[in-house]
Amino acid sequence: MSSDEMSKIQELFDNLKSDKYPLAEYRSVGKRGVRRIDGYEKATGYAKYTMDVKLPGMLYGRFLTSPYPHAEIKRLDTSQAEALPGVRAVLRYEDPELPPGADLGGHETSDVPVLPKVAHFQGEEVGAFVAADSEEIAEEALTLIDVEWEERPFVLDPEEAMQPGAPLVNPEAFPDGNITNQNQGIDVEEHGDVEKGFAEADKIVEFKFTQGLNTWIGPERPCGVFRWNGDCPEVWVKQQRPHICKRAVASWFGGIPMNKIQIHCLYQGASFGGWSQMPWNLGGHYCAAVVAKRTGRPVKWMFNRREDFYGGEMDIGIYYFKAGAKLDGTITAVKGRAVVVNQGMPVFGFVKHFAENTKIQNIYGKTEAVLVNKGPTTATRCEQNSNCYCLNQVFSHLADALGLDPVEVALKNDGAEGHDMKWLNEQKTKLGFQVRDSLKECVEKGKAAIGWDEKWHSPGTKRLPNGKLHGLGFVWTHEWDDSGGTSEIAIRIERNDGTATILGCRSDIGVNGETAYCQVAADELGMRIEDVHYKAQIDATFFTMTPDTSTNMSVNGFAVRNAARLLKRQILEAATISSTTQLGSAPAAFPGKKPEDLDIKDSVIYEKADPSNRRTLAELAKFAGAQGPASSPLGEPFRTGQPYLNYTYTQPLFAHSWQVQMGTYSDVRLRFCRQAHFMEVEVDEETGEVEVKKVVTVNDVGRVINWEGCEGQQYGGAYMGIGRGRSEEVIHDPATGVMLNGNLLNYKIPTMLDIGSIDTALVETGMGYGPYGLVGIGEDIATVTPTLIGPAVHNAIGKWVDDFPITPDRVLKALGRA
Amino acid sequence: MKPDKKVPVFEDEINFSVNGDSYKVRVQSNWTLQYVLHDELGLTGSKELCNEGACGACAVIIDGRPVLSCMILAIECDGQKIETVEGIAKAKHPLVEAYVKHSCMQCGYCTPGFIVTAKALLDKNPNPAEEEIKEALVGNLCRCGTYPQHIKAVLEAANNLHRGQRV
Repeated sequence: MSSDEMSKIQELFDNLKSDKYPLAEYRSVGKRGVRRIDGYEKATGYAKYTMDVKLPGMLYGRFLTSPYPHAEIKRLDTSQAEALPGVRAVLRYEDPELPPGADLGGHETSDVPVLPKVAHFQGEEVGAFVAADSEEIAEEALTLIDVEWEERPFVLDPEEAMQPGAPLVNPEAFPDGNITNQNQGIDVEEHGDVEKGFAEADKIVEFKFTQGLNTWIGPERPCGVFRWNGDCPEVWVKQQRPHICKRAVASWFGGIPMNKIQIHCLYQGASFGGWSQMPWNLGGHYCAAVVAKRTGRPVKWMFNRREDFYGGEMDIGIYYFKAGAKLDGTITAVKGRAVVVNQGMPVFGFVKHFAENTKIQNIYGKTEAVLVNKGPTTATRCEQNSNCYCLNQVFSHLADALGLDPVEVALKNDGAEGHDMKWLNEQKTKLGFQVRDSLKECVEKGKAAIGWDEKWHSPGTKRLPNGKLHGLGFVWTHEWDDSGGTSEIAIRIERNDGTATILGCRSDIGVNGETAYCQVAADELGMRIEDVHYKAQIDATFFTMTPDTSTNMSVNGFAVRNAARLLKRQILEAATISSTTQLGSAPAAFPGKKPEDLDIKDSVIYEKADPSNRRTLAELAKFAGAQGPASSPLGEPFRTGQPYLNYTYTQPLFAHSWQVQMGTYSDVRLRFCRQAHFMEVEVDEETGEVEVKKVVTVNDVGRVINWEGCEGQQYGGAYMGIGRGRSEEVIHDPATGVMLNGNLLNYKIPTMLDIGSIDTALVETGMGYGPYGLVGIGEDIATVTPTLIGPAVHNAIGKWVDDFPITPDRVLKALGRA
Repeated sequence: MKPDKKVPVFEDEINFSVNGDSYKVRVQSNWTLQYVLHDELGLTGSKELCNEGACGACAVIIDGRPVLSCMILAIECDGQKIETVEGIAKAKHPLVEAYVKHSCMQCGYCTPGFIVTAKALLDKNPNPAEEEIKEALVGNLCRCGTYPQHIKAVLEAANNLHRGQRV
């Protein structure tokens, strides 16, 4: 290991400045057409997911669920279910194997009942877990369980839940009321003096908007498999955070040593945060573990499709705003109050983007987190939703009230932490970044693609020949990769052929980070992209960062680069020293040369002064015999230098490294990169139908590593965002509290025909904190675009529809036709 | 609550062909074709996603038509010739390589269903227009939102088919 290399790596651990050590040349990074390493498997059906796991003797486990939104089990008779042929175990809430609480995953460590006896929302898994020879038998057994329920009063509306005398939603955990508690339930964020800001304003708007409950929809249902190999658990997880699963499993049953637990994290049928962050998401694994212990058989637990509608995105809520601006568009004050629902993680502010993203000095936001008898909510691509919606709603409403072009209002207020662009540009220079105007670059590309200057018009003034009303919308914010986090990863040069393998278990949810890591490793090592592979499903016991808060590249990208740089040094050292193998002495691959005399390109080591002096990596690694390396200088401790005298041992070619990314959210890192999104709609006044004709998404990702991966996030984010803004809402019956549309027929996710066309553009200003100046993209578009339909519909019909999703009935209501 | 008296499960043996291979399988009357392909035959490309005919992830080709295997009882498939994504891959249909090239997958759970549906389209219409591709694939849901990439891939595969390429 080169101490020089290590010190450079450590210098960038804090990740709070520009990347001082980019590469001089990129051969794979940023190139189009890099074949994705999971592509063939996924296209052909060979890719295996947790739902595909089938082990000898495996049992299938299913949960009893509550038919009521709030009810307690008074008596449970499982005798008929136990008697059904094929049923191997029925676990009941009062069984002695179940502790009062256990860490069952989630955003933070949790301590929750494994099988509760009280349900706090309709559909909650409670009381009993059945394991049988088939899923079908387990299902049938559930219908044979006789439950005496004590129904309790319930409340679904958050503002009703806040009233004195409202039914208590969860009296077990929160006996004092439905605002969760003073420490966690209320968040206040304040900058400057909003009253002063309102006094300075020429125009003040006040409005309310609401966001309905939307959810993740995992193509693969929540599931998992647990097998005991003696006292060693082997666990298959459909989870975004395998390392957290392992930590939780290690805390069960009085403690299991980490080194006895094997985790398999196969391909993931998507996730989008959501389920993986729920505080009970390992309840199935715990029950499976208990039953597997009882029966001596592996147990696979699974939800059905309806049960995947367990909870949803944490932006569900009611938002009240007052905002003021000068006539030129300069915003002087923003004041908001939000009532949000059932947040399964510490309550998160909703005015952060005003602080992180603008020069607005006077900002106040108060969040009240309320409980209702619906499923929990958490970061579901992602926790920044409310921040994005609020920024865009305020900007759109103010621009309209002032009669200004919303793009100009955005540019007018761009900045950070209450400072203008001049100040922000000075900070860019101080931190070593080049100075570029990211928002300006993004909106220029976006405006050109949507035809903004030609098509923009006053609200409600453009009727098309087909009779429909035409509208344009625009939203913007910064780019983010927010996890303070660490990641470990390793790279190994394989014996026999000298290929490189990246090691580190992480959840592959499909964003193609794995190929991007291979690109980084290939360029750093001087290898061909096809000679690098990432085995992300293997538990290498490292704490490898997983898809989380868009940090795939900013944290793991650095970790891969760090490992590659250490490994490259090792390779060059190994090429310059002679060695002794089992067959005798082996001369150095490059006798008399020093590591610094050599370099690697296209998987070939060569002498810089004489490139014709070359050895491939395969030639260096050579063939490994049955007892280890037969003729290779690599491998099991081999002896270098003078045979049998003064020999030293050299390690195999394997480098482990890591990255530490400090800090998260506001006041830690200034945001320099921006994104801008545009939409063109046609609204039918008769039906209220909003047709999305075109979406343009522009993201400044700092630097593109994998083009197709970035564009995939833009396409996918646009579809998810438009779904959330236009059609996706989980509906509960107000009279019974029962979820009415927990299926894919009645919960409408977008199809191929729901957006006319999508144009994507990527901007590369290099102003990200990640390696090579990149910033994350995974969550951004789906999180920013849901309210894009709002200003577009307003521009079409001249009325605000501020209840999302903007379904036809809501459009008709705004038009006074419903 | 007392259980109803058990009705005996009706079973039968069916003979069918999957991707040109003959199978003799004993199936229960309520087993779907998707279950038999995925769980009994291990052809995991036929994915269960919505389980109610709303998403296309379980699509297979029977009689030249893309059909939803979660909506068909296996017991009805005696004598049928079934083509799954595994067969399409085995035949090196250019769709597979075009799908990889255009990064048409993210999580990949729905991808085989798209390829099956697209294959059925190209079998019938080797030169589809963009609108025809959208029309054909609109019943396949992709939560990751890869839709625009599919259109590029299907157009390219159609092109390669004309040139007789098998990749």
